[in-house]
Amino acid sequence: MTAVAAPLTTPRQGRRQGRLRRLFSRSTVNIILVVIGLLWLLPSFGLLVTSFRPAQDFFSAGWWQAIAHPFTLTLDNYRHILQTGGIGDAILTTALITVPATLLVVLIASLAAYGLVFLRWRGRDWVLVLIVALMVVPLQMALIPVASLYRSVGLFNSIPGVVLFHVAFGLPFAIFLMRNFYTGIPKDLLEAARIDGANEWMMFRRIVLPLGKPALASLAIFEFLWVWNDLLVSLVFLSGSSHVPITVAILGQLRQFGSNIDLISTASFVSMIIPLGVFFAFQRYFVRGVLAGAVK
Amino acid sequence: MARIEFQHVDKRYSGAEGLAVNDLNLDVKDGEFLVLVGPSGCGKTTALRCLAGLEDISSGDILIGDRVVNDLPPKDRDIAMVFQSYALYPHMSLFENMAFSIRMRKAPKAEVESKVREAAQILGLEKLLDRKPGELSGGQRQRVALGRAIVRDPAAFLMDEPLSNLDAKLRVQTRAEIARLHQRLGTTIVYVTHDQVEAMTMGDRICVMRDGLLQQVGTPQELYEHPVNLFVAGFIGSPAMNFLTGRVAHDGAAAALALDGLQITLSGRAAAAARTCGDGQTLTIGMRPEHLDVATAHTSNAVRVPVLVDVVEFLGNDALLHATVGGTEVVALVPVARGVAVGDRVELAIADDLVHTFDPQTDHTLGNTAAA
Amino acid sequence: MTAVPSAAAPRARPIPEVRTGRPPRRGGVPRSAVVVLFMFPAALLLGAIVVYPAVASVARSLYDKNGNTFVGADNYRTLFGTSDILVAIRNNAIWVIVFPFLVTFLGLVFAVLTERIRWATAFKTVVFMPMAISLFATGVIWRIVYETDPHRGVINSAVGTVVDVIHPPGLYALPNIKPISGVSGAADGSMVSAQTVQPGGTVRLGLTGIPLSAVPPAAQDARAAATVATAISGLVWRDFSPGGHVGTIDPGEKGLPGLHLNLVGADDKTVATTTSGNDGAFRFDGAAAGTYHVALDASNFRTAFGGVNWLGTQSLTPTSSLGTTGQALLTIPLVDLAAIMAMLWMWSGFAMVVIGAGLAALNREVLEAARMDGASELQTFRYITFPLLRPVLIVVFITMIINVLKIFDIILALVPDSAQQQANVIALEMWRIGFGGSPDYGLGSALAVFLFVLVVPVIFVNIRRIRG
Repeated sequence: MTAVAAPLTTPRQGRRQGRLRRLFSRSTVNIILVVIGLLWLLPSFGLLVTSFRPAQDFFSAGWWQAIAHPFTLTLDNYRHILQTGGIGDAILTTALITVPATLLVVLIASLAAYGLVFLRWRGRDWVLVLIVALMVVPLQMALIPVASLYRSVGLFNSIPGVVLFHVAFGLPFAIFLMRNFYTGIPKDLLEAARIDGANEWMMFRRIVLPLGKPALASLAIFEFLWVWNDLLVSLVFLSGSSHVPITVAILGQLRQFGSNIDLISTASFVSMIIPLGVFFAFQRYFVRGVLAGAVK
Repeated sequence: MARIEFQHVDKRYSGAEGLAVNDLNLDVKDGEFLVLVGPSGCGKTTALRCLAGLEDISSGDILIGDRVVNDLPPKDRDIAMVFQSYALYPHMSLFENMAFSIRMRKAPKAEVESKVREAAQILGLEKLLDRKPGELSGGQRQRVALGRAIVRDPAAFLMDEPLSNLDAKLRVQTRAEIARLHQRLGTTIVYVTHDQVEAMTMGDRICVMRDGLLQQVGTPQELYEHPVNLFVAGFIGSPAMNFLTGRVAHDGAAAALALDGLQITLSGRAAAAARTCGDGQTLTIGMRPEHLDVATAHTSNAVRVPVLVDVVEFLGNDALLHATVGGTEVVALVPVARGVAVGDRVELAIADDLVHTFDPQTDHTLGNTAAA
Repeated sequence: MTAVPSAAAPRARPIPEVRTGRPPRRGGVPRSAVVVLFMFPAALLLGAIVVYPAVASVARSLYDKNGNTFVGADNYRTLFGTSDILVAIRNNAIWVIVFPFLVTFLGLVFAVLTERIRWATAFKTVVFMPMAISLFATGVIWRIVYETDPHRGVINSAVGTVVDVIHPPGLYALPNIKPISGVSGAADGSMVSAQTVQPGGTVRLGLTGIPLSAVPPAAQDARAAATVATAISGLVWRDFSPGGHVGTIDPGEKGLPGLHLNLVGADDKTVATTTSGNDGAFRFDGAAAGTYHVALDASNFRTAFGGVNWLGTQSLTPTSSLGTTGQALLTIPLVDLAAIMAMLWMWSGFAMVVIGAGLAALNREVLEAARMDGASELQTFRYITFPLLRPVLIVVFITMIINVLKIFDIILALVPDSAQQQANVIALEMWRIGFGGSPDYGLGSALAVFLFVLVVPVIFVNIRRIRG
């Protein structure tokens, strides 16, 4: 801590330093951040522009040159995707996996978190420790046994199988998140409700669940993005099905990256629209979820 | 309406060493306003929560009306509780907050409506019924918490420090409001507070607790005039009672208390108590500040204490003297007209029948045992 | 203190001595039934799909491919004896060493800088946005970014612009240009006259493989250079015409203007430079006596920047002298860094938001006190802010380690098939082995267990954080 004694500056030095700092804190930082911001937008923007170009243009010039010639851009790729329907079917499959998985995780996790926070029972603390441990277990640990299990009960290559897998691996984090939120609910409220005559289910339905809405929203968005964006689980449990989610569908096209670029870029962008929409609409809750999951 | 009884109630928290409530015996009469008071951690809140059914008791019995309620869940005990934090449901309107309990009991809609309106009218909350708790002031929230209890029409109200989140002025107002409410409804109230002023002003009877043990139960006046031990004597009354401990010196018929090289001559009740002690035995005398005054030539039948004045706090009509006798601090409330200034050596006097005496070994009161 | 006074409540009724029936039943439903009600769905799913399979994986890893024969630790031996798998492990190690540091650093920088701007929310939204995009789409997006051809890939285009300013491409950057008469190519890309020359002498340098369209329009017909006594003069020309002869200046053959020529002494030092004229003639004046070569500078033929193959197989470390295992362990492939960049794009926002929240939660008065104590802005950061932020930084760091250990999608989407072997990671290899052409459940399980072992320390750290 020797450096603390340093600023014994003459007035003139002080003034110069002040000016320097002002310069640094205003213009320079602004410029740096503008540049970084643009750099961050660039890759996605490149994909967007590419998705509006014919495949042969991809070989002749970069997408940034196409901006200078907007007339070369075309809606054909999107029209094509709509007409052939394969991508539409894949998006639907993704939705059919994502929506039930999200709802189930939210419901089951809120129940379990209630049990962990508001019910007193032996072994409760150990169950919490187990949940925290399960939060980081790689899902690779389960792929092979669950594949065998699914084959024997007929869930392999079925959407419910994928949904259940997502729910199970989403639960540890979800329970943890909800538990953290529930511990912030004053115990007095529950006791008041108990004296008012509510049973556990009523207390869950009428007090804890409504109060937990912000956390539920965060969790739902998290889960939604997580499942929507998944590749691996569907690749393992659903790739033999005639209906595959969008990520698996695009993966099949990647081998001919250049010549299929029109399809790949368009489908990729389509696959991003819904999660991006969710992100922009509920950014506040998403950020809150990130913080609740990370810090604590 | 109901009377409430604690019979040899023990409460031990799992993992805790001692008893949070130790062999509590207490009888709350029907319609009585009973205050449980004591420093934090004395077991008063635990006793209340056991009564509410929020904690299981370890042994003993709790009766509400004539039913043993030990194993009854809170909702079947026919009691309402007002929490320190009010515990209003933040996501419900005031109406829904107050209606929650009777809705849980599946009351018909019309009854819910009329009961909530009636309670709201009693408390002057009619115009706020659509608001959420977050939009209310502290005092309004407090009244909603009361309203929620009133709607229940329970056998007893349990209140856990309901005024501690209010500012001083509002506290005085609400104190009166709760007292009025008690008169109007006539329901048994068990009220927990750590504030002895609150206890003195509100309670029909007061139950003083310490370390899980009941110390004394009685009307405010009984507690004030006849505390059974040093703790109750020091806890009840503000400013707190002064204590001087010394050795008894007998001189024929007269008795004196020797401390720090000076002798205080005892007379009246105090002398009678001193006479029960052997020569050289220790004795504590207690003097309430408001009973002390500056001695004058006309003072008689008084015990006199010479002091050195350190600080004079001006309170308007009276002044609070902080003085020392030997190494002990003594506080006295005297009329400003006495004209005492810092640095003065004065003699404080107290009527000898107002002097309390205690055995410092046991802390028990000597001689004038209270009759509750 | 045992002062229970005589005022104690009267004993109204006999008290039963023996307490019975605890814990009590609440509202008719036993408490244990309530617990089961709330915990059962989660317990069932976690048990069937997480806990049981995890245990089963450990058992399965001790059996062979088909699960018929117990093989003990054989699969684990195979794991560390197969170079493909070692490559995957090595890559995960690179990720774990490099990525968490970079992402935490970037997140910290962004979080600190955004505190000083008014449009922080907009900036944070932009940087945070990739979190909503799938790793898979991120792979696709960056694959377009990394296109090798500078005309297609934006990074190579940017790099090319810089490179071409520092080393501009030559006037004669032609793929087929070569010396044909009186001159020969050198290793450094320049061309050197075949004969030596002395002051007063001349040289003729004939080049070919130049399309007519590539000859500058100002070029005039080539003429033999006039001899100047004190100078070295010469001609450089396109020694090609239909029916012409090599080495002679045939009619219609053009001089090559704008070529940079060096006069190189016997000690290989350049003593003079000049540029050829429109008719291809050049002259070095005032050369001291001695013998010289005339050289055509390499810059004349330098081609434009052709692009870095970011997603290729080349290594950053020279390892060609090592054996297979050594290469597998010690190579740092460029493609890893390219993929790390893409992941940084995705996760910096996360780090920024978490660290930003940590910054916002700092007690402003502590920072102000430090300023009052005379610490500069940098010192305040170094001695106050940074230590106070450390727990948050550690959280980000650990989260990123877990993240990177499980990395899968982005490699599959970003890296072309040709380089996937070089960019392989454990999760990807596990998928290939377990669910590829000829699945080996034994080895796949062993790899999964290995991955699990890697995250075990994190489990303990997390549990300690929860309990402490």
